[in-house]
Amino acid sequence: MTTPEIARAQRLRVLTAVVEDHPGVLSRVSGMIRRRGFNIHGLSVGPTGVPGRSRMTLTVDAGHAEVDQVEKQLDRLIEVLEIEDLTETPRINRELALVKLAVDEGSRSRALTEIDRLGGRVLDEDREQLIVELSGEFERVEIALEALRSFRIVDLARSGPVAISKSRDRGPARAPGTQAGGGAG
Amino acid sequence: MTGADIVLEALEREGVRVIFGYPGGANLPIYKELPKHPRLRHILVRHEQGAAHMADGYARASGRAGVVFATSGPGALNTITGLATAFMDSVPLVAITGQVASTVVGRDAFQESDVVGCSMPVTKHNYLITDVHDIPRVIKEAFHIATTGRPGPVLIDVCKDAQQADWPDPVWPQAIQLPGYRPAFTPDLSQLERAADALSRAERPVILAGHGVILSGGEEELIALAEKSATPTGTTLLGIGAFPVRHPLSLHMTGFMGTGWNLKAVQDADLLMCVGMRVDDRVTAKLADWAPRAETFIHVDIDRSEMGKNRRPHMEVVADAKTALGKMLPHIRPPEPERRRPWLTQIDRWREEHPLRYVHSNGHLQPQDVMIEMYRRCADEAIVVADVGQNQIWAALWWNFAKPGLFINSGGAGTMGFAFPAAIGAKVARPEKDVWCVAGEGGFVMTAQELSVAVKHQLDVKIVLLNNFSLGMVRQFQDDFYGGVRSEVDLHDMPDFVKLAEAYGLPGRLVTSADEIGPAMDFAQQTPGPVLIDFRIDEEANVYPIVPLGLGLNDFRELPDDYA
Ligand SMILES: Cc1ncc(C[n+]2csc(CCOP(=O)(O)OP(=O)(O)O)c2C)c(N)n1
Repeated sequence: MTTPEIARAQRLRVLTAVVEDHPGVLSRVSGMIRRRGFNIHGLSVGPTGVPGRSRMTLTVDAGHAEVDQVEKQLDRLIEVLEIEDLTETPRINRELALVKLAVDEGSRSRALTEIDRLGGRVLDEDREQLIVELSGEFERVEIALEALRSFRIVDLARSGPVAISKSRDRGPARAPGTQAGGGAG
Repeated sequence: MTGADIVLEALEREGVRVIFGYPGGANLPIYKELPKHPRLRHILVRHEQGAAHMADGYARASGRAGVVFATSGPGALNTITGLATAFMDSVPLVAITGQVASTVVGRDAFQESDVVGCSMPVTKHNYLITDVHDIPRVIKEAFHIATTGRPGPVLIDVCKDAQQADWPDPVWPQAIQLPGYRPAFTPDLSQLERAADALSRAERPVILAGHGVILSGGEEELIALAEKSATPTGTTLLGIGAFPVRHPLSLHMTGFMGTGWNLKAVQDADLLMCVGMRVDDRVTAKLADWAPRAETFIHVDIDRSEMGKNRRPHMEVVADAKTALGKMLPHIRPPEPERRRPWLTQIDRWREEHPLRYVHSNGHLQPQDVMIEMYRRCADEAIVVADVGQNQIWAALWWNFAKPGLFINSGGAGTMGFAFPAAIGAKVARPEKDVWCVAGEGGFVMTAQELSVAVKHQLDVKIVLLNNFSLGMVRQFQDDFYGGVRSEVDLHDMPDFVKLAEAYGLPGRLVTSADEIGPAMDFAQQTPGPVLIDFRIDEEANVYPIVPLGLGLNDFRELPDDYA
């Protein structure tokens, strides 16, 4: 990696948050991220097991801010019930990508072999295109996508990473020295 | 009961006594019910920004949440500057705005604006109510959020149909359920002990105190801690009053217009403890050069996100200032007097070498003379509300505030036009106090329409206009830092302020020389109701010391010796 790439990698934070499933909560979270000069690289939202609560997984570039500010600022939001910066903790992450590949007589079988080698799945095919599912750790999805670029990618949809910590707690762990949860806002 | 009635009943249940507001289409149902609630005093403002600043001044002077009413669209949007001002300075407000009916929200109805969206970045929290059944809970939550933890403004946008809907037997919630909001932090005792130990060991300690000390009522703990540890103590602009300016350990105000001896002490300290404050750019000037010798930086604040936002502390205490200081106190070991003497002597020397100075020999009326005379008369009792600009810094530096809560100004947002409506709010909150409004003519005319409010309610606010016929602070910056190009700062075409006052129905006086200051102040103090005094000050008077933009605290400039 070049120096700017390393610097960027250090600024990239992976966070998981449990939020109240209210209208506007996404705009509160994304507004806070924009306002503080952070930048969203990936964001996925889905229901948790608990009604009224959603889980967000965020990949955020801290920009010029101190990296711990991302978690601290989001923690100030009252509708953010729990938040944890997973960047430096053991975690499981997954991403799903759907890729539309244009193929012809010449490239088709090479493409199928490559997809197979990458662990992708062909979900739909006709004479001119393949729709491929790639899923797994998001670093691996990145690598697989890179490999598929030798074919013609016509369209691409990615879920953004989702992540969960490996700790045995039910929710995100707490930063040391603070009480359970909550920002002073 | 209608939703409108429930709103007003809920406010009464929160102990609200005063509302600063303005009616319009989308809050007419509330105004219809208002006369049925005589315990709620409503003050009709002349512009909704005025309402927000009045509520802000009311809150700062009383410690209770200020309440604002406004209609949808332009009415609500006019409060935004006031909300931002309160937000930056952690002031508790609850703004209740009317919104178009929920059935037409999102269809660009008449006077519809996305007020929740617009106010999101400048409020601690906000709500849109579309269902009458949410009103009691939301209002209760709003007051709780506004007044606890790090205080701040909360906006509630109430759709017109929810105001009109009927709910015969409203249910008033007893408990608050906000699982994502836990404002009270119990400080980590081991951190407190470590901090107290470090303070006890330091050779050249300095404490800086901010608004958080005043908000938490921690000034006694601060004085006790400073005295026990023999630590020189200064304040931020908003912390003024948290530590008596005439105390032997006082460093007075810090920051880029702070006193020379304060800045010298901060830059030379081996231990710096900041309590109840942000470490913002007006405090640090060039961050990389700030407090370069501080081997130990301790940060005490109620807001965890302030920790390390600008400068990474060696020790952090997340708690309200009063609790933290109180719990540190028993762990402080007083230093041997001999050990502390060199540092205190050094600071005394700096105080002598870098005193606050101003020109008083050029024949013009000097703003500092006005401030000194005002302070002499009001001692440590009157409330002073300052606007933004040179007038603000003159008031901050030349009053020797000995108690908290007497100096009110817009520190974080620097909102011109704040002082006069905020002074009205302060007077409404504390009618027994003398209230002085210090403002430049530029800022004053931004909200001068509220003169009607002071006259109508005969509120004894004494307006001290420091009139230099220019946007003084900007003019000074242009002179000092922008090559002397005076661009768009001239205000010679201002109204005749004495006549303006009289047009509004209050007496005005013109003062052009130092010997008229006393008689004009006598007049102001002896005349009931609002009074305006137009002090024609030296048009070239400047604020010193000042740190040139982009430089560090060490580079502060003082009144030039050849200045005449
Ligand atoms: C609403 C607003 N607009 C612009 C500014 C920028 N500004 C800061 S100080 C200042 C000059 C203020 O002039 P005046 O009110 O006459 O006070 P003085 O500095 O002369 O005491 C200006 C324009 C501001 N702080 N607030």
